[in-house]
Amino acid sequence: MQDALIRKLESYEALSKQDHEALRVLVPKIRQVGPRTDLISEGEPPENVHLILEGFACRYKILPSGQRQIMAFLVPGDFCDLNVFILDQMDHCIGTISACQVADIPRRAIDEITANHPHITRAFWWCALVDEAVLREWLVNVGGRQANQRIAHLLCELLLRLQAVGYASDNTYPFPFKQADIADCMGLSEVHVNRTIRELRALGLITLKQRHLTIHNVEELKAFSGFTANYLHLKNARWSERRSVPWLVRAQGS
Amino acid sequence: MAGPHNVETLVVLQPIAVDTDSSDCKGMLVLANGMLVAVLVQLNHSEEKQKGRWFIEAGFGRLRDLRQRPFDTLDDATRWLRQQMKPNVVNRQS
Repeated sequence: MQDALIRKLESYEALSKQDHEALRVLVPKIRQVGPRTDLISEGEPPENVHLILEGFACRYKILPSGQRQIMAFLVPGDFCDLNVFILDQMDHCIGTISACQVADIPRRAIDEITANHPHITRAFWWCALVDEAVLREWLVNVGGRQANQRIAHLLCELLLRLQAVGYASDNTYPFPFKQADIADCMGLSEVHVNRTIRELRALGLITLKQRHLTIHNVEELKAFSGFTANYLHLKNARWSERRSVPWLVRAQGS
Repeated sequence: MAGPHNVETLVVLQPIAVDTDSSDCKGMLVLANGMLVAVLVQLNHSEEKQKGRWFIEAGFGRLRDLRQRPFDTLDDATRWLRQQMKPNVVNRQS
């Protein structure tokens, strides 16, 4: 059940048998959450770390005008709040998009695993780093790309993120998002999202069928949106052999 | 109550074709007291439920960057726009 998590962490760090074992016992409480349901709201004290095992969720804020801004989409294997559990209260909401299977991990368990499993700890750092890198890329998207490129960019990103955790095949992946969800994360109107999706369909780049999205020509869609996968730091886009953190290696050896 | 803030803004609509890179091309220039404040476009190629509605394709001045849901009719759009053009309107989104 934790396959998505293990796959994701292993795309950052090689994990031992003991690490796998520790991750398997990490998920004591799994629950099913319906679509469009808050896992935690702004202002609430976060008790547990939420891990998405199945389904899609998002990080969002509601503006005084009632406008929603989505800051992140969360897919299987994503921690909703790996670090925010240190906070006294949430500064944003986390809610499901589709029905989700969610693990509530007590903060004590995270403390324990980070104290005893340096490779997992390092993989957790990678998760946090990539979350930030995705957020940076979304900023670039909103500030620097045209509406149709923004959406195409998001579609490429979702494909790669879902491929990494085994939730995409033949360039097809579940797409439970409404046009309003895309609009609220891209700073666009639903009308513009609707037009762009139509345009991408008409160009033969994508098909949307039964809540599944297929990208027909990934390279073309990447070129169209100026997509470079480097910020996702996936195994095949990195230089893991050359990468090292000397002080951490020393700390582990001591 | 009479007062300077209760003077109605004169909103005039002028038909115009708009290139939206889609088949939504029937539009209206919205002039408020003689100044261009917005361009409305009638949705034609959208989802069924949106078809025929009027969308603020572009706004200028205080209407800039507003994300407003499409209006059912041109009258609804005009009423809302007139409301926004009142000098004392602060919260511009409804």
